[in-house]
Amino acid sequence: MGNFFSSMFDRLWGVNKELRILILGLDGAGKTTILYRLQIGEVVTTKPTIGFNVETLSYKNLKLNVWDLGGQTSIRPYWRCYYTDTAAVIFVVDSTDKDRMATASKELHVMLQEEELQDAALLVFANKQDQPGALSATEVSKELNLVELKDRSWSIVASSAIRGEGITEGLDWLIDVIKEEQLAA
Amino acid sequence: MAPLNKKIQKFLKDSIRVAPKISKKGELAELRNGLVSPYPQTRKDAIKKTIQQMTLGKDVSSLFPDVLKNIATNDVEQKKLVYLYVMNYAESHPELCILAVNTFVTDAQDPNPLIRCMSIRTMSMVRVDKILEYVEIPLRRTLQDDNPYVRKTAVICVAKLFQLNQELCIELGVLEDLVSALDDSNPMVVANATAALTEIHGVDPSVVSLPKLINSHVSQFLLALNECTEWARITILGALADYSAKDSLEAQDIIDRVSAHLQHVNPAVVLATIKVIIRNLPQIQQQNFKAISLKLSSALVSIMSTPPEMQYVALKNIRIILEKYPELLVKELRIFYVKFNDPLYVKLEKIDIMVRLVDATNLKQCNLLLTELKEYAMEFEPEFVSKSIQGITQLAIKYSGEKFVSKALDDLLELVDRTENLKDDCCIAMCDLLRHCPTNEKIASDICALLNSWAVPESSLISDAAKCNYIWLMGHYPEKFTDLEGKLDQMIENFVQEECMTQASILMTVVRLHTQLPGSTLQNVLEMATTSVNEIDIRDMAMIYWRCLSMPNSDTLVDQLCKSVAPIFENALDNFSTETLEKLLNELSTISSIYFRPQSVRAKRYVLRQNIVRGKRMDELKDMAKNEIAKNMNDDVLLDFGDDEPKTSSSGNVSSNLLDDLDDIFGFNSTGATTSSETKDMQSSTNKMNTSTTNTQDLLNLF
Ligand SMILES: Nc1nc2c(ncn2[C@@H]2O[C@H](COP(=O)(O)OP(=O)(O)OP(=O)(O)O)[C@@H](O)[C@H]2O)c(=O)[nH]1
Ligand SMILES: [Mg+2]
Repeated sequence: MGNFFSSMFDRLWGVNKELRILILGLDGAGKTTILYRLQIGEVVTTKPTIGFNVETLSYKNLKLNVWDLGGQTSIRPYWRCYYTDTAAVIFVVDSTDKDRMATASKELHVMLQEEELQDAALLVFANKQDQPGALSATEVSKELNLVELKDRSWSIVASSAIRGEGITEGLDWLIDVIKEEQLAA
Repeated sequence: MAPLNKKIQKFLKDSIRVAPKISKKGELAELRNGLVSPYPQTRKDAIKKTIQQMTLGKDVSSLFPDVLKNIATNDVEQKKLVYLYVMNYAESHPELCILAVNTFVTDAQDPNPLIRCMSIRTMSMVRVDKILEYVEIPLRRTLQDDNPYVRKTAVICVAKLFQLNQELCIELGVLEDLVSALDDSNPMVVANATAALTEIHGVDPSVVSLPKLINSHVSQFLLALNECTEWARITILGALADYSAKDSLEAQDIIDRVSAHLQHVNPAVVLATIKVIIRNLPQIQQQNFKAISLKLSSALVSIMSTPPEMQYVALKNIRIILEKYPELLVKELRIFYVKFNDPLYVKLEKIDIMVRLVDATNLKQCNLLLTELKEYAMEFEPEFVSKSIQGITQLAIKYSGEKFVSKALDDLLELVDRTENLKDDCCIAMCDLLRHCPTNEKIASDICALLNSWAVPESSLISDAAKCNYIWLMGHYPEKFTDLEGKLDQMIENFVQEECMTQASILMTVVRLHTQLPGSTLQNVLEMATTSVNEIDIRDMAMIYWRCLSMPNSDTLVDQLCKSVAPIFENALDNFSTETLEKLLNELSTISSIYFRPQSVRAKRYVLRQNIVRGKRMDELKDMAKNEIAKNMNDDVLLDFGDDEPKTSSSGNVSSNLLDDLDDIFGFNSTGATTSSETKDMQSSTNKMNTSTTNTQDLLNLF
């Protein structure tokens, strides 16, 4: 009974509501590193994610339910299981991995076709900027054909998860967009 | 018309109510929405509802991906629920399980030991290769965990992993960790490691040298024994029972240190302890024997005050122990007296045990038991009564004095007099008594007088064995029967329909008495036996008689064949062979002691059954086998008869072995010539006709 009331209460007042955010991208792009950078503000040692990580974090009075899904080819088909009710997608790109830009671009556009993600905002991290030879945000944006995106709030931010650069900037933008959209709705 | 419609409607309504509600689309969709809700509490409620549906037996497997999303949580309760769900449905969604791997691996490092256990247990339990691929690191880590609760779980997981994927388990080298867990400081870990190793050894004895390990860890086991839970204790005692002490000192030491557990409330612990003691008993010094057997007997007596199911198990084990140490419970006869509220299966075992343990040199005790058995024979449950009557004979033959036998006979006579339907059992029992004292005229006359008084023996007796015995008696004491010819004719009339023991008995008796009977009777029986009977043995027998009778010196031949004397019936109780007995003692308190079949025998049978029976209907198979054998027998035995001795006998052997196997498979009771020694061993006392059947068999085998 207690549970029943508390869940009613949650729904009536909108408190405890969590915003779902997905972190996607090819394997090794730095998704898990970014998630824990956000969560605990540190660099953790990671292993390729077989499955997913999920953390709840509070950011600017919002409760974010952040899902980091594995990016290996075998896991990508299951991304779609997680699309429902997603407020935003963070797409992470390894800016040094020029060979796989096309693959990343393809995965991104296929994903954005999905009905369930029509209203989701998109933030792209052009990650690993600390590495020599990394493509700049503009170059990555070109590789990914971001200009083609219509009817969607999107942005690209140069980042280094290792150094902690660009991450909060990106997230700030994302939160502003989400808040706006919620007010509009 | 209207009422019929109503009926149909009512029927439909009822059947819908009775059948489990098939979850409608809407219901599942609602659950799914709940599972992905942005509100944590709503998600948890939805998980609970999903599990609830699952436990009701509804198929909620389509929610798998959505339930799985909730596995990563700090809420232990929620985690448990999701794990429960995953365990249940993982095999129906093997591909999706990959999504859980990351969480499993992370959970195996959780600060909460319960969660570490949950994760490793699930990983090694789910039959999904994708998960097993990632089990290595968590398993290794938990095997070395600081927390003994986690270690003892991990140790069991190794055995589980072994069952799912032997190669992987060996490749990971976790078996070595398992072996070192035998030296763990925590007794529960030691016990579980022992259990795991035993299990693995059972699957493939070549991967762990269990006996060697047990040998080198006896002192650890003895230490751990006093500190662990009862189930762990059973495992450790089981391992100790596989160890042979080096000398009498060590044997005595082991016995002393386990003896305390003879008083445990859990009968399984008591039995396991008894097993260890029995194992060491042959080694100890004579002067200590008395004290130990006292302890043993009081332990055995104590299990007789447990619930009936356990009593049954205890009785089966006692039966085995008694065969090795018959004097063990000699003073405890009364404990086994049947109580009015014992279930039938316990009653039957108790009778068997009492007859076995009674001291055959103690007249007073035998008399007590005889009175007791007679009382049982006046009860109403047919199996119980039969067993009691059988018990009376067994007891009389065991005590053996003619006076006592006469007394038992009087009891039997009184019993038939009181109750009509005991004729079958008493007929068999009395013939057995007579076979024990063949020279006692008084007994013979009494029995014949009674049987002779039955006007229509054909319809008085029902069972094959009883009829067989009755006819045998007529053949043996023809002068004590009036209207012998009439009585025999009654039996012969149904010759073709009778079962084979009766047929054989009729055949022999008619041949034996052929000079006193009209020639047409003999002719008639021989003809029926060679043409209208399916049973090969009967046909064979009839053929042989017929040939003998047509020889020039037929009278002496027939005399030689028929007048030989049956061996005196010395022991009415069946025994195990020494070899079987030793095996059974080693496998005490396992399923072997219930079936009275050592594991090696049971495993063999299983394989046999699988090979032959696969894909065939039972009766189809039965007919096929019978035809095949009948054909071979006809070819080999009948045609070659006489002129090719060795070949005949060997092929005869082969086919009769084959028959044995088939009979075992079909669960037939083997007939006369085809009883192998093995089947004799296993013929359990639950078969009420058992001993009498065997006796009747050697009557038949004589000819
Ligand atoms: N130099 C540099 N290395 C990074 C950066 N971000 C992540 N890495 C490294 O890249 C490797 C992969 O990082 P992860 O966070 O595990 O990658 P992922 O996207 O989660 O990969 P999957 O789980 O397989 O999909 C790790 O060795 C990280 O230390 C970065 O900004 N700079
Ligand atoms: Mg990752």
